[in-house]
Amino acid sequence: MVMHRREFLGYAASALTIALPGHDSRSNAPSAVTVLDLKEHCSLRESLAGYERASAGVVPRRPMLIVPAAMTLPAAVTSEIAACLGGGGTVLLESGAGFAGEWGLRVHRDMLRRLQVHVAAARCKSRDVPYIDYAWPYRTKIRDFSRVVPLAEPQPGEVIAWVDRLPVASKRRIGTGTLIYLGSPVGPSLWAGDVEARRWLHAVAHAA
Amino acid sequence: MRKSIGDNMIPKDWGFERGLDLVKHAGFDGIELWLGDMPWFQTATTDPAVRELRRKIENAGLVVSNVSTGLHWATPLSARDPSVRAQAARIVERQIETAVLLGTDAILVVAGLVTEEVPYNEVYQRCVDALKPLGDKAARAGVKIGCENCNSEQRFLLSPREFAQFLNDINSPAVGLHLDVGNIHDTGFAEQWIEIHGPRITRIHLKDVLKHRGRSGDQSVYTNLFLGDNNWPAIRAAMTKVGYDGWLIAEMEARYRYAPDQQFYDTSQAMDRLIAGRL
Repeated sequence: MVMHRREFLGYAASALTIALPGHDSRSNAPSAVTVLDLKEHCSLRESLAGYERASAGVVPRRPMLIVPAAMTLPAAVTSEIAACLGGGGTVLLESGAGFAGEWGLRVHRDMLRRLQVHVAAARCKSRDVPYIDYAWPYRTKIRDFSRVVPLAEPQPGEVIAWVDRLPVASKRRIGTGTLIYLGSPVGPSLWAGDVEARRWLHAVAHAA
Repeated sequence: MRKSIGDNMIPKDWGFERGLDLVKHAGFDGIELWLGDMPWFQTATTDPAVRELRRKIENAGLVVSNVSTGLHWATPLSARDPSVRAQAARIVERQIETAVLLGTDAILVVAGLVTEEVPYNEVYQRCVDALKPLGDKAARAGVKIGCENCNSEQRFLLSPREFAQFLNDINSPAVGLHLDVGNIHDTGFAEQWIEIHGPRITRIHLKDVLKHRGRSGDQSVYTNLFLGDNNWPAIRAAMTKVGYDGWLIAEMEARYRYAPDQQFYDTSQAMDRLIAGRL
């Protein structure tokens, strides 16, 4: 089930602060996937289109909020993320800063720091093999997206993917929710019809 | 059919006006202008300056056959970076604008590059998505976008049926094929491309190709008409079969070490024989 932003806001209106450990505001409503359109804060429209297409018909184990190709997060979106996490849901936050200028990357880094996702100062590029190695929810390879925004170490939570041994994606419990960060966008692969990327997204929806 | 040749064939030290005289004296009817290739026709060239180019071309007794560009090799519509894609689309828009100013109804676009980094499925989808709105713009301007088959160099749309599917997916009457009969190399036969695409062909580039005779024998080499391996009688027959009566545009590499202008005369005469079917 794909919900649009307005529906999601109604769904999660009761939780408007960052989730606290032990705070569980899950509702009894059926779980849904919400793909957030960040408008000008989304750097890759094809990523948004990819998630919209690939998540159609997916019923996740818990409410799932996907934020494709994010450059920055407006305050209202941060609240939505908090609401989802507070409700025990999963937030999949995809970096859209791979092709940003230096200033854009700095703003992006600051935004992620507020969510306790620490990324490296410089972007990287996979050297010979253009695939990201995922270890969760199962071991697989998904196409990289040229420039990756890797994680800095140490990192709270669990690293779930690497490129050339550099960590590029993480998963972290926040209260009862789960925040997943992707430093290399998967949305464009979904949009281009990549079967493995689609399978991975479905597995995340069922595992998180 | 009418004969044209690219302005990028004009010897570098000749200048535009002298080049136009050469094109006319060699027997061509028109000239293909390459946006971004030559100093007189850049993306920053203003509308009045483009109109001045047209005046000079018409004063020389020529017309513009089409507007081409090689800029998409470095700035492809299929780039992953959205800012590069936006730039690529702007180049196509400028081609459309200048085509109108120059009095022609066709442009050439190299649509998409498959690389190790940017995979085929992404390139395909991005090009389709980009060319739909550009096709609308072209249609409104009365211009046709001819996507060129640069088979081996692009590693994209390698067969004529695949190219036809691509055009079907774009689904715009203003987007067709700018066929280069020398670009097919070992991936097929030009006459079959002509037969399959027929009315969707916007323009035809002519050159010949020596298959597998390049460095170490593993590369094909472009050459002048009738010196290579293209089956010219079959190509001519296919043109007749599909009723192609449009522009033939010479696009060879400058191969003459001395007397570079001689290549214009030789090419023009070869094109006359092709058109006449004296092969």
